Amino acid sequence: MRVPLAWLRDYADLPDDPEAVVARLAALGFPVDDVETRPRLTNVVVGRITKLERHPNADRLQLCTIDVGGEKTLLIATAATNVAEGQTVPVARIGAELAGGLKIAPRKMRGVDSEGMLISAEEIGLPAEWFEDGIMQLDPSIPLGTDAIAHFRLNEPVLEVDVTPNRPDALSIVGLARELAASFGVALREPPTQVQYEDGADDARVTIETVDCKRFVHQRVSGLRVRPAKAWMRIRLALAGQRPLNNLVDVSNFVMLELGQPLHFFDWDRVAGKHLIVRDAREAERFVTLDGQERTLDPRAIVIADEEGPTSLAGIMGGQRSEVEDTTTEVLIEAATWTGPRIRRASTMLKLRTEASSRFEKSLPLALSDLGAARAARLLEQEGGSVRMPHAAGKPATEPRAVPLPAGEVERLLGFTLSAGEIERALTSLGFRVERSGDGFGVTPPYWRGDVQIAADLVEEVARVVGYDRVRAEVPAVAPQDVDSSEFDREMELATLLAGLGYTEVLSLSLQPGSVAQTWRENGITVGEPVEIVNPLSEDQRWMRFSLMPALLEFAARDRALRPYRRFELGHVFANGAASNGVAADPTESVHLTALHAGGESAFGRLKSDLLALLRRVTGNDARVERGTMPGLHPGKTAALRAGETVVGYVGVVDPRLARAYEVAETTALATLFVEALPAYATPKYIPPSKFPPVERDLAVVVALDVLAGDVTDAVRDEPLARSATVFDEYRGPQAGEGKKSLALRIVLQSDEKTLTDEDADAAMQRIVAVLRERFGATPRT
Amino acid sequence: MTTTGMTELEANLASLAARFRDAVARASDETALNEVRVAFLGRSGAITEVRKGIGKLPPPERPGAGKIINEAVQALEAELGDALARVERAAVERSLEDTIDVTLPGQPANIGAIHPVRRVAMDVARYFTRHGFAVVLGPEIETDANNFDALNIPPDHPAREGLDSFYLRPDLVLRTHTSPMQVRSMRKHGPPIAIIVPGKAYRRDAIDARHLYMFHQVEGLMVGRGIHFGHLKGMLVGMCRELFGPSADVRFRPSFFPFTEPSAEIDVKCPACAGEGGTCRTCGGSGWIELGGSGMVHPNVLRAVGYDPGAVTGWAFGCGLERIAMKRHDVNDIRAFIENAPGFAEELA
Repeated sequence: MRVPLAWLRDYADLPDDPEAVVARLAALGFPVDDVETRPRLTNVVVGRITKLERHPNADRLQLCTIDVGGEKTLLIATAATNVAEGQTVPVARIGAELAGGLKIAPRKMRGVDSEGMLISAEEIGLPAEWFEDGIMQLDPSIPLGTDAIAHFRLNEPVLEVDVTPNRPDALSIVGLARELAASFGVALREPPTQVQYEDGADDARVTIETVDCKRFVHQRVSGLRVRPAKAWMRIRLALAGQRPLNNLVDVSNFVMLELGQPLHFFDWDRVAGKHLIVRDAREAERFVTLDGQERTLDPRAIVIADEEGPTSLAGIMGGQRSEVEDTTTEVLIEAATWTGPRIRRASTMLKLRTEASSRFEKSLPLALSDLGAARAARLLEQEGGSVRMPHAAGKPATEPRAVPLPAGEVERLLGFTLSAGEIERALTSLGFRVERSGDGFGVTPPYWRGDVQIAADLVEEVARVVGYDRVRAEVPAVAPQDVDSSEFDREMELATLLAGLGYTEVLSLSLQPGSVAQTWRENGITVGEPVEIVNPLSEDQRWMRFSLMPALLEFAARDRALRPYRRFELGHVFANGAASNGVAADPTESVHLTALHAGGESAFGRLKSDLLALLRRVTGNDARVERGTMPGLHPGKTAALRAGETVVGYVGVVDPRLARAYEVAETTALATLFVEALPAYATPKYIPPSKFPPVERDLAVVVALDVLAGDVTDAVRDEPLARSATVFDEYRGPQAGEGKKSLALRIVLQSDEKTLTDEDADAAMQRIVAVLRERFGATPRT
Repeated sequence: MTTTGMTELEANLASLAARFRDAVARASDETALNEVRVAFLGRSGAITEVRKGIGKLPPPERPGAGKIINEAVQALEAELGDALARVERAAVERSLEDTIDVTLPGQPANIGAIHPVRRVAMDVARYFTRHGFAVVLGPEIETDANNFDALNIPPDHPAREGLDSFYLRPDLVLRTHTSPMQVRSMRKHGPPIAIIVPGKAYRRDAIDARHLYMFHQVEGLMVGRGIHFGHLKGMLVGMCRELFGPSADVRFRPSFFPFTEPSAEIDVKCPACAGEGGTCRTCGGSGWIELGGSGMVHPNVLRAVGYDPGAVTGWAFGCGLERIAMKRHDVNDIRAFIENAPGFAEELA
């Protein structure tokens, strides 16, 4: 909310230094997001045009004789066309500093010495298009010679104050002034509301047909004439960001900003039947709001209708048919209170959020409607209006109920003690009524603090007044608990180890455009329908990611100059649950760790070894490598990684179709671990090494191409003396024969009981060859 | 008494010794010295010729001659040993003078980096676990009930405004904060409980230099008997010292969150300017940096999970991890965290 400090000072004597006000607002829970400083202005006084004559040497200039309250008048030449004798105007004297760095120096205008300048809104830093075209017109009641800068406090900054949604009372200048006054210990000057009521019968009728109109205060003011509002009001509105329109509309906006009560003024002559009906909108009811838009309503909205149909959209915006126009002479002030959520729903449905609806949707206090109407009546009276008695329909404005504050509650929540007197003083300063009851208090909030309902709310009020700095830092002793951190620990261990293995973690967005899944499908890769966001901000974020691979492939393509390239991401992927009995299951999410290795020698072999090392460290066991398939990976070049009985992931070469689609090398390797499937760490047990020396033997065997090296080495390890078996070469070529390959194995033989002789080793090798021949049709190569 | 033969043998021996010494003096390295050994003292070296002289001597003189020769050989061997030690020392001296250009590039290290946002989560977790807190993780798809209702944000509550959420179904959202894990954790574990929850959250914000619709938070929750606001401050001061250094300080400002009462914004004293403000870019001159929201758990939240607000009290806080990472590393555009530019994570690791 834009809060002109100039306006705030109308209601309380605040420190001169704006920073002190800004700091206090923040300490009270109203942080100031921005302080808009005003242009430096000096030497502008209020003057009256006592004589106007044509410039002797220039058709387009006039010479004004200006009374600025002193003995000597000023002679000022002006090109403005809206000047007339008798006008009260702002006058920049010689030496004045104005907006835009303009400085007024003595000068001759076509041979006449001009002793200053008559100025427009723009020259005092206000939006030119919001004010009269030409010289700004001031209220004739201001004494001539008054320093206009000081009078309108034009050098005071405008604060952008952040008001939390629980405090609609503070969405107003008076509301913030009240908080500041309490905090600085100064009096609040409440805006006057007294009026002289005009007698006479009132034929206004109001019928309330919805429970969501909680209170409806209406009051007629006649004898009005539409014209620009007084300068002080227009300047305040403009500083607050509200465009001044005319004296009647401005009063309505002024009261809303001043007190927080949105108002609507009906042009009473244009209310059909002099009867207002507050009711639910009808299905598909059409109606033109005062911004000229035709709106189609439904029963979620509330309308105020007259006998010809809707004429205002309750709590949101007035209607065109009865809006104030230039000929208006009589208005009916409407100051109502609505059920907040109802206004919020209607405003959401109509996609129409206004200053009024953003206040009403927070549920305003009933009593504020009476105050708002009275204040508007007073301001309209000053515009020459005759005011009738107000009338109210709906609930009476009752005082909020008392909230008990048990003794010790402040200490229980805040951890420090306050005396009963301190608690009482703090609450009283904010307008709460405090009564001692037993050991504690009964506290009645003021009408504008409907948000205060429980003891904890009162504790916060006390803390705000005494200052949150009173809270003393204390490190608590944490009691033993049975909450388990293993998931987090596992993720951190995986990330830390992978980083140590040379992989850099990336972070990609979880929402994607539909083109990601489409690319996979177009390339013949099966992808389920991804989980859909029903209200994305753009099509780029309609679908939840089904895999971490696409983002990694994109990064690998983008960073193609960087090889070898090792990246990983650890995050959630999402899928639609399988429907059963026609009922869609909840979407599911699982934690994936996906790593990519591009470039370097044998990306697949490197990635596989890294993952096996990783799995060994985090599970305490070696994982098994088997043949497997996973969407996104090459169907013939993919391994499943098995920990015990569970497949915990896959490592493979990227599917060549995706390699083309993403423009990465076909050798690029990818792996995914299913983090939740990883078994808990099993502490490895120590196996003492044999005391007898190992014997190393090499063996080359020719097997069919589809025989897996891993199966061959597994078979070798079935030999009791074989301690390890490693394939150190694979040969495919004419010497191996058609459809065959040759595997070179290094086998380590060792016994726990004796030193192996050559004969022992030969016998073991013969057993191994026999097993390989039997299981794989292997023939030894010599 | 000495025979001519003996004299001749001695002369031969002396001549050999002289030539040997000459050769040793000329030899400059180990190889040359070994060649000298072979040439003079080896099996077919010069000494063998001298030994042959023994046979020409009368038998009684032979043992004496043998002894003389052996002694001479031993002396020469010793001299050779000294010479060897000398050249070895000289070689070491020379190799000590060798230099390499230590600034030439080495082989690239095979090490990656974890993401700076995860680093913040790990640092926060390390601090809290040291104090006995557990770290729990939770789903990013959340029920409307857990994300809002159980946190005292009923439908139509104005606070839902600031938490504009992505919906999957009318009853399922992408969690807008990590706070629903308060609800899940308290429903699963009775009081006392002390946890933190790092994780992703989502809000329908357009992406710009300060906003991502997907971001990370860390949630903290502690509930039990006698837990008060001062304990929150104590833990947060410690956390900020862990993150920003030993002089970090924390202040609270009143605020509003539906699930806490009293509520507070957490500000940390700007680590870049130590609270001086002025022209500091890190804090924008205010001397303080907004870290997140906090407060005492609202009685309605305690009730919603079956805790007795009369018996236990508790606090909760939530901080944005990207925001902390930005302030720690002077990153001024949040989008850097999802760009993953080469070198970014490595430089900040």
